[in-house]
Amino acid sequence: MNTTVIQLDNVTVRFRIPHEKIPTFQEYAIRWLKRRSISYTDFNALNNISFSIKQGETVGIIGANGAGKSTLLKVIARVIRPMQGRVFLKGRVAPLLELGAGFDYEMTGRENIFLNGAVLGFSRRDMANRLERIVEFAGIEEFMDAPIRTYSSGMVARLGFAIATDVQPDVLIIDEILSVGDTDFQKKSAARILHYHKNGSTILVVSHNPDSIRNLCSRAMWLAQGSIKMAGPVDVIMDQYSQDSMS
Amino acid sequence: MVEYDSAKSSPAIIDEFVQLIRYRDLVFLMTGNILKNRYKRSMLGIFWMLLNPLLQTIVLTIAFGTMFKSSLSHYAIYLLSGLLVWNFITQTTQYAMGTMAYGGGLLKKIYVPRATYIVAAVGNGMVNFFISIFSLIIIIIFLDHPLGAAWFFIPISILILTIFTFGFSLLLSTASVFFTDTLDIYQVLIQALFFLTPIMYPLSILSPELSQFLAWNPFLILIEMFRTPIYANHLPDTSLIVNAVSLAFTTLLAGWIAFTSKADQLAYRL
Ligand SMILES: Nc1ncnc2c1ncn2[C@@H]1O[C@H](COP(=O)(O)OP(=O)(O)OP(=O)(O)O)[C@@H](O)[C@H]1O
Ligand SMILES: [Mg+2]
Repeated sequence: MNTTVIQLDNVTVRFRIPHEKIPTFQEYAIRWLKRRSISYTDFNALNNISFSIKQGETVGIIGANGAGKSTLLKVIARVIRPMQGRVFLKGRVAPLLELGAGFDYEMTGRENIFLNGAVLGFSRRDMANRLERIVEFAGIEEFMDAPIRTYSSGMVARLGFAIATDVQPDVLIIDEILSVGDTDFQKKSAARILHYHKNGSTILVVSHNPDSIRNLCSRAMWLAQGSIKMAGPVDVIMDQYSQDSMS
Repeated sequence: MVEYDSAKSSPAIIDEFVQLIRYRDLVFLMTGNILKNRYKRSMLGIFWMLLNPLLQTIVLTIAFGTMFKSSLSHYAIYLLSGLLVWNFITQTTQYAMGTMAYGGGLLKKIYVPRATYIVAAVGNGMVNFFISIFSLIIIIIFLDHPLGAAWFFIPISILILTIFTFGFSLLLSTASVFFTDTLDIYQVLIQALFFLTPIMYPLSILSPELSQFLAWNPFLILIEMFRTPIYANHLPDTSLIVNAVSLAFTTLLAGWIAFTSKADQLAYRL
C-alpha cells in the first residue's frame, strides 16, 4: 500500500517562444543571408519540480492562471516529456485533462466511444464489451447514433468522462473538469471518483474551487510561476492560499 | 504493471514502434475514419477516384498520344501507370504533412504515439491507390493490353513504393512541424519535378546527358519499377530493383530516425 506511484525529480519544462513570426524556411533563409540568428525567449512553465505521491493518496494542485498546473499534469500523463529531470510513474493513468480529446464531431456517439477508447489505448474488443455501461453512465442512450456535433457541451463532457473512467485506473488525473455537467452528473462523477479512491486509485486534481479540493484531497500543492510555493496537508495549504489571495 | 519513466525509456526509435503496435486499433480506426469521412457523404467519392485518373489519361492521350505514337504504342497505359505512382506518393505525403500540422492538436492534449497520424495517412493513400488501380484495369481491358508473367512483380513494387512513401512522409512531416512553409515549398517543387519525370513522355526523347542526370530522380526509379511489368511486360532491370529497394529502406530509416528523435518536441511545437 505504501509504494510510490508518482515521482518527479527536478522536472523542468521549458517553452521556447520565438520573438518573431512563426518559423518558416523563408524566415530562416533570410536570416541566414543577413547573418542574423533567430532570437527566442525561454520560458520555464515548470521549474525544478520534485515530489512523490504514494499509492492511494489524493493530491490537489492549486495556483493562479498560468502557474503551470496543466503543464504539470501533462508531464505526468506523458503528453510532454520534460526537458530536464525525471518523471516516474507506475500503473495505468486515466487522463481527464480535456474531456473528449480526440472526439470526431462528425461521427456518432457510438463511433466516438471506439475512437476515444483507442486514443486512450484500449482495444476495439475492450470497448465493445464496455459500450453498454459507458452509454448508461453517460446517460445519453437516445443520442448514441447522432453525430456529436449535435450534442450540448455537457453531453460531450459526460461521454468523455464515462469513457475515460469506465475501468478503474491506478492513477486518475483531473484538470478542472469536475464542474462540467449538471448537478446530477456532478454527483455521479464525484461518486465514481470516490469509489475508485476507496479501491486504491491515486488521484491528482487541479481545481480553482477550494471546496472540491478540501473535500477530495488530503494533501495540496501550491504552484506559483512554475515552482512549488508550498505543499502539505490540505487544510494548511488552502488556508494560506485563501489568505494570500485576499491580501 | 505498466511503468513510465521519462528518463530511461528505451530509445525513441524502438519505443515509438512498440507503442504503435500497442495502439494498432487506433491506427486502423483513424485510417477507416479518414476514408469514411471521404466516401460516406456520397458513393460518388469512389466514382471520382476512378473517373479522375481516367479523364486525365484521356485528355493527355488526345493531346500527346500521337506525338509519342512511334515510341509508345499503348500511350494511355504508359501514362496512367506512371501517374498512379506519382499521385500515390505526392498525395500521401501532402496529406501526412497536413494531418500533423492541423490534426496534431490531439498530441497536445493526450498521449498517443506520434507516428499514428503518418501511418493512417499512408493507409489512406494505399486504399486510394488500390481504388485508382481499377481505372488502369479498365484501360488495360479497353485497349486489350497483353497480360504477362511479369505482373506477379506488381505487389512487390507496391510494397517497395509504400515503404518509400512512409519514410518520405515521416521526413516531410517532421520538417513541416518545424517550418510551417514546408508544405508550400514542397508543392512548388513537386510541380516542377512532375515535368522532369518521364510520366507524360518516354525517357528516350531526352538527351543522353539529361537522362543520365534524371536517373537520380527517385520518382523515376519507383515509377519505372512499377510501370515496366505492366507496360512492357517484363521485369525491371535487377539494378533498378536494387536501387529502388535501397532507396525505399534508406528513406524509411532516415524518416523513422528523424521523426522519432524529434517526436518529443512535437508537443511543444504543434
Ligand atoms: N505550448 C505552449 N507554448 C508556449 N507556452 C506555453 C504552452 N503551454 C503552456 N504554456 C505556458 O506555460 C504556462 C503554464 O501554463 P498552464 O496551462 O500549465 O497553466 P495553468 O496553471 O494550468 O493555468 P490555468 O489555471 O489558466 O489553467 C503559461 O504561462 C502558458 O503560457
Ligand atoms: Mg490549466
